[in-house]
Amino acid sequence: MPLCNNKVADDGTSAQPLQEGKAMVDSLIKVVACYRHLASCIGGCTDNSSLRRDLRQTRERAQTLALSCRNHLTARLRDKTLPEAERKETELLWVAFSSCLELLHADMCKVFTMVKHFSLANNSTMVQTGIQGGTTELAARALSLPDLQEAGGSTQTSSMEGQEQSQLEQEIAQVDRTLEDMELKVNVLRWTVEALGPQYADPVSTDSASLALLSIDEEAAQAFCSRSQVFAAMMLCGVAIFAVVLSVCVVFLV
Amino acid sequence: MTIRNVRDHGQRYRPRMACLKKVENVVLEMQDPKTGVKSQTQRLVITTIPHAITGEDIVAWIANRFKTDAAEARAMGTMMVAFGYIYPLQDHKRLILKPDTSLYRFQTPYFWPAQQWLVEDTDYAIYLAKRNIRKKGMLELYEQEQYNNLYKWMNHKWDFIVMQAKEQYRAGKERKKPDRVVFDCQERAYWVVHRPPPGTVSAMDYGHDRMVDPNMEEVKVCIMFIQQCIMRPRVKSSVSIGALIKYTTTYKEHDPFLHTCLPSSPWITDDVTYWTLNMPNVETPTKMRVERWTFSFGELLMDPRGRADFRLFLKKEFSGENLAFWEACEDLKWGAAETMKEKAQQIYKTFLARGAPRWINIDGKTMDITVKGLAHPHRYVLDAAQTHIYMLMKKDSYGRYLKSPVFKETQKKAYQYILCMNCVPQLCRFTAPVPHLAVYTGICEAQSTASPGLMTLPNSAACPSPISVAIDSTPASERRFDGNGGPSSSHFPSIAEASVSEEEKQPPAPKSRMALSLSRLLRRGCNAPSVFASLSPKCAVASGGGKVQPLGVEPLAQPQPRRIANFFQIKVDIPPECRIYPIDSEDEEDDSADTARGGVKEIICPWETVTKQDGAG
Repeated sequence: MPLCNNKVADDGTSAQPLQEGKAMVDSLIKVVACYRHLASCIGGCTDNSSLRRDLRQTRERAQTLALSCRNHLTARLRDKTLPEAERKETELLWVAFSSCLELLHADMCKVFTMVKHFSLANNSTMVQTGIQGGTTELAARALSLPDLQEAGGSTQTSSMEGQEQSQLEQEIAQVDRTLEDMELKVNVLRWTVEALGPQYADPVSTDSASLALLSIDEEAAQAFCSRSQVFAAMMLCGVAIFAVVLSVCVVFLV
Repeated sequence: MTIRNVRDHGQRYRPRMACLKKVENVVLEMQDPKTGVKSQTQRLVITTIPHAITGEDIVAWIANRFKTDAAEARAMGTMMVAFGYIYPLQDHKRLILKPDTSLYRFQTPYFWPAQQWLVEDTDYAIYLAKRNIRKKGMLELYEQEQYNNLYKWMNHKWDFIVMQAKEQYRAGKERKKPDRVVFDCQERAYWVVHRPPPGTVSAMDYGHDRMVDPNMEEVKVCIMFIQQCIMRPRVKSSVSIGALIKYTTTYKEHDPFLHTCLPSSPWITDDVTYWTLNMPNVETPTKMRVERWTFSFGELLMDPRGRADFRLFLKKEFSGENLAFWEACEDLKWGAAETMKEKAQQIYKTFLARGAPRWINIDGKTMDITVKGLAHPHRYVLDAAQTHIYMLMKKDSYGRYLKSPVFKETQKKAYQYILCMNCVPQLCRFTAPVPHLAVYTGICEAQSTASPGLMTLPNSAACPSPISVAIDSTPASERRFDGNGGPSSSHFPSIAEASVSEEEKQPPAPKSRMALSLSRLLRRGCNAPSVFASLSPKCAVASGGGKVQPLGVEPLAQPQPRRIANFFQIKVDIPPECRIYPIDSEDEEDDSADTARGGVKEIICPWETVTKQDGAG
């Protein structure tokens, strides 16, 4: 999948600070979404050191984004001279940002507990979840890199794991503090913020393929056997009709 | 606003989730390639996805692992599916394990149920939005409703939710198709477990969250106290059964359901005299109540009237501070939390401190413990002292109370209802609305032996509710009587109520006292009894032995005069419209039939007339 639908986050030359803030928040949302997908693979059969590495990198990216976002938005909201309409927009962004950060916090906590149980170094049993592929594309999307070199899967020793764990713990605490700081510094009343967007997200693109897979999976699985039987029967009928038509033609010709 | 501060939802707050850890271990055991569950591939139209397992394989594995039979293994498998560790690939909404070739798959640990995390509504909103992105209108009705609700109350972050849903959807497209399908299945299964469709039973339903940490000090003490309250040391069954028998024999006559309730059972008739007479702080208690005080000290204390009596006695003995202390401790234990400290201090100043105005006498060790505990007062800080004082009162004062003139006085004054066998030759009906009953002094020989004897009247055996006063009760009782066999016919309990006067008068027969028998007509063809009790000792059971209750009848027949002597009588103010209907059997039948049809009954009280007829009766 081409990465062209990424909203560029690192472009620091955007015209208005509002757009800039929006772009930052959007990219944070994107990174958090990728992080969630990555986190869902932990403990599964594809859990390996590259997944862990991807997770770590995505997390670091999310944190840098979060930091810059926070600084930007805090500065804007504390600016008393902000016009009303822009303040409303910024507050909306602020709410989106804090919810995003909360989501990231929850995911990081989950990853923390899961990594404790499914340790690569100790060769813990992984659950056979049915996932087959890797997650490099996801990481690439998160990090906004056109392609990611697949670094050789370095085996993780328990000390490395321990280090990563403690680092993760620190980062979780940091996000915690960030959230609390935010609440203290800027007072955004949630009940005054109204969503501007639609209630229902527009269908991005009709992804017929996976839809077809899933719907078939849902509905026809019971009739799977009969389905193949019906298919065979129809084939036979088709062949029989074809033979009849041929014989009629032969008769007529003759 | 998302409540982030209520972060800790650990084990100690949701105790019923303790099994999750064990299920996780079992699931991990199932993963073993050699000893685990056999996995197959799931064939979809375009692709194949590995790691599918059949229901029957799961059941077989569980049965083998835990050495149980197939039904038990199936139940356990269903539990695992219900918790969300395994999800079905077909028929995903029903979380049960089918022991056939239907396919299941293991859930990824990210979506495992966890005690620590509450399932967030934000995530649910994102999931529903994602489903809507994929295909519009794919949400079911209940999901639609929940989506609308979430839109209303999470409106402030709705832009974020929509954005996040889009991004997650796009990120999903970065993955390979089979993985995308698997992830969608996983997420869908997760939400079926945690937001079940309406009408399904959810395994995640563990009841209420405990908002109090049970490890807190005060809660621990409270739990310990309650545990001690319910703790029962082990005893031999013969001993415990003996205690049970003793309890039932003691209390059997005091139970208004198991035994005759006099004057009439308020649950059956509409006469609430029984309740009014037994109000908590009534001036004069009933005899039964006073008798209960003699059963145990606890009974005496629990009854407010009894406690008042005891208090009076202690006042006379100048040892009232014990009871006062005990009551203060009870107040502390059951009172409001905010006043607890002041109460404890007050109690200390009044009862425990040296030179206190109402100093109680407890031993040194208990005093030490109590004073130490009062440094950090809580509800149960005075428990030891209270128990000590309770025992003191029980062993010492209680015995003296039972022999004291205060108690004897109360006993004498107590009301009593008695039933008495009587025979009046005529069937009478009488009208006497119950509120007209006035109580006044009558004879009493307060005999403790008499009362139990009285209570074992044959009523209980055959006649369900022989005493019916109220008009509207009569149909029921009549019907009941009609349904009865013969023997219950003749006995008319006569209930009289009076207070005991100081002197024990012999019951001069009629004078101004009449016993009002409030029973109903019993049998057709019952020629004997009228409903009036006469005080005349000559009253004999006219119906003879045949119609008399076998149970306790003979002794009743004998002490009939004596019992009559124990009558408490009611003087009834007879409204001028009272009439008497002497009825013979035919009339009675008709009238009964009428009654049965629901006609209005009239009860007539022919006091004067009956008195004259008394000689006949």
